Amino acid sequence: MAKSKPTINDFRKRAGQLVDIDDMHPLPLPPPFDKPGSEPQIKPLPEDGRRKIETDLDGVSAVRFARPETVDQKRELVGKFFSGLAKLFDPRSNWTFLEPLFLTMEYCVRCQTCSAACPIFIESGKQEIYRPSFRAEILRRLYRKYVKRGRTLPDNLTEKEIDAAWTMIARLMESSYRCTICRRCAQACPIGADNGLVTRELRKIFSQEMGIAPRALHQDGSVQQLEIGSSTGMPPAAFRDNVSFLEDEVADRTGMQFHWPIDKQGAEILLIHNAGEYLAWPENPMAFAIILEKAGIDYTLSSELAAYDAVNYGVWYDDIQFARVAVRHAEIARRLGVKKIVIGECGHAHKALMVIADRILTGDLNIPRESYLTLLRDIVLSSRLPLDPSRNDDITVTLHDPCNMVRLMGIVQPQREILKAVCNNFREMTPHGVDNFCCGGGSGFAIMQDGNFPDWRHVVSSRAKMRQILNVFQDIIGPEHKKYVCAPCSNCKGAIRDMFAAYRLFETSNILYGGLVELIVNAMTDIEKPFIDWQWH
Amino acid sequence: MSLLQLTTYIAAVFFLVVVILKTVKIARMPVHLRWDLYPIPHEKGKAAYGGSYFENSSWWEKPRLVSRAGELREMVVEIFSLRGVFRNNRSLWWFSYPFHIGLYCLVALIVSLKIPVVLHWTGMPVGGQAPGFLSLALQYAAHAFAAAGWTLTLIGGLGLLAMRLFKRDLRSYSRPGDYINLILLIAVSGAGFIAWVTVDRDSHHLRDLAHSLISFLPAPTTTPAATACLVWLTDILLLYFPFTHMTHFIGKFFTYHKVRWEDTPNRPGSLIEKKIQQAADNPVGWSAPHIDPLSTWTEASGGGKVPDGEK
Repeated sequence: MAKSKPTINDFRKRAGQLVDIDDMHPLPLPPPFDKPGSEPQIKPLPEDGRRKIETDLDGVSAVRFARPETVDQKRELVGKFFSGLAKLFDPRSNWTFLEPLFLTMEYCVRCQTCSAACPIFIESGKQEIYRPSFRAEILRRLYRKYVKRGRTLPDNLTEKEIDAAWTMIARLMESSYRCTICRRCAQACPIGADNGLVTRELRKIFSQEMGIAPRALHQDGSVQQLEIGSSTGMPPAAFRDNVSFLEDEVADRTGMQFHWPIDKQGAEILLIHNAGEYLAWPENPMAFAIILEKAGIDYTLSSELAAYDAVNYGVWYDDIQFARVAVRHAEIARRLGVKKIVIGECGHAHKALMVIADRILTGDLNIPRESYLTLLRDIVLSSRLPLDPSRNDDITVTLHDPCNMVRLMGIVQPQREILKAVCNNFREMTPHGVDNFCCGGGSGFAIMQDGNFPDWRHVVSSRAKMRQILNVFQDIIGPEHKKYVCAPCSNCKGAIRDMFAAYRLFETSNILYGGLVELIVNAMTDIEKPFIDWQWH
Repeated sequence: MSLLQLTTYIAAVFFLVVVILKTVKIARMPVHLRWDLYPIPHEKGKAAYGGSYFENSSWWEKPRLVSRAGELREMVVEIFSLRGVFRNNRSLWWFSYPFHIGLYCLVALIVSLKIPVVLHWTGMPVGGQAPGFLSLALQYAAHAFAAAGWTLTLIGGLGLLAMRLFKRDLRSYSRPGDYINLILLIAVSGAGFIAWVTVDRDSHHLRDLAHSLISFLPAPTTTPAATACLVWLTDILLLYFPFTHMTHFIGKFFTYHKVRWEDTPNRPGSLIEKKIQQAADNPVGWSAPHIDPLSTWTEASGGGKVPDGEK
């Protein structure tokens, strides 16, 4: 029997799993997924797994945090949470986001205008626990009681009270990974309150005070990037090997033989790709290399630790890790003596280094940073490349707007100007631009692949994007038409790849996804064979 | 000085002081990291589609084109149409809109009642008894503002209260304070409506009281009970108001101008850079295993040190 809709009070008081996966009734999708059983399901975790890790929110685990076994362990975790809560509102510990957080805590009028803008809440069939104001309201109540009124947690809490407090905190931990921080809710808010920020600030309590974060973001993410060189685990030597391999690959595919510049002192540009591209989508850095070589751009890649990987996962969960990666990127650019850093096809890396790190990097670390989109737009429109858009005529192209580049940075037109110059069959999704929907992989979701979290992503957080893609191609949805979702962001591509695989969209509807630069090279007349390999990969 | 004057002075001064203190508290918060959200209406030539200066190559070498007029236009449209609520929460807008427009009218009513007094100080022959076009215009304006203000605020307030009570998604998130806010505002607008309908259709009692308050003259002896009741309820509202989220007009200024639309780049040698450097000298304070809580933000971020990689 379905449980009643959970309330804010249930979050602390109701025992067991707050929401059952079976009780979720996501909005129906358009054809060919309009028939019962035609779409993937969220698989429940095995009983053993549910006993061992925290799943009391909705039966899904993003963080995979082991359930504490003793009351003392719980007491310690509860204490740390509350000390983190206090630090979140301390002007020294959280100068980075205190003002926007304080404003959101104080001035939300609980009008629920944000709810209609949230794709996760709407697409989940309006699951109360996914309402953008739900977790914000829980934090707000804690803030009012323990920060504003200055109450402290009593030392003599009973075992039952500790249990209840930990249950609430564990649910809050998972809840902070049910929002992609796309900030559509903030855009809709008439007051300017920001529930996306609340999500991120909650994650900070868990990471910065309690040492709890999804492994993919922390140990395998920012820690590995700083220590090994890349969140992919690729050390500098492997990076150089990869580049060497890709040089050969470019020669095989295009006949162009040239070396990619690495660690070139005094180059005009330091180009940093998301390192995932070298491994998962090597055609992307290959296309970049071809374009920049043809256009005669003076640039370099770097083989220094972290500088061949543009990612900065700290932007999703931890200010200190964020600052460490941003400073590392800037320091290497400074040592190379480049005039600017250009960021490749990676949305969050754009926002991290160009926008947020703008208030981290001072003095000679404040090296100008620019999007690859403006550089390529200038190259494409300046006729430096021999382009014929009809070479892309067999493909109908739509554009996914990565939230980080578009809604959160205002880079809207350059990608469209490029697409219109290299494709004749381009159509926009609805909505698009700054009103776009997230791919569902935002805020780190695209790289979190453990347990049944990817299932949840396919069914819930990527659902709005899935609907948009199906709708934009609905008149040519059959496999006889080649359709391409241009997703100029690595994490978006990752989320879309996994979603397409889960729905078998390439096999059933012949829809492929890929980056922007591949379409540019595909339109170059001096490259004989089509650059885009129309196969699932 | 009458009791009515005394309570009104206390309430007004208290309201102003607390509102100013709240504003100063927010304004003095430390510089925060950028958290832009587009569209930003001051992006000249780009605001309509949500574009920014990041769309320009080598943007830091080019003059930054800022349109304050665009920002002002956006503010005026938002304030007078509540466009955000209209687009995203239409059912609420039907009550929120008249409620807010009613409040604006009441503010305008207060201003229109005080203008004659201020002009009188300057020697201009306008006032309750003075003839002339301006006096007549102000009286008609006061009529209109009173009629619209009391009626719209009352209707809107009642509608908003009903929605909070009967709409599940609003009810389950509402706290007692949300109801008290609305009930108090309904009480004030209800008292204003009754006073306006029964004893003060031309708002002359309110005007006389306003005159006495800003001129520090004795209170009029003929203030009817309904008007006195309205004033006392308003005094209670003024004392209570600054401690509620009804001061969101302050918050909204900061959320928009200092967070969403704050896209000023950090230039070398700028005030922003100085503020960042000061903030980065603070100890981090956080205690997770990967953080030394005693280190400063500069030290914790690595201070630019790059370890040797595997070559």
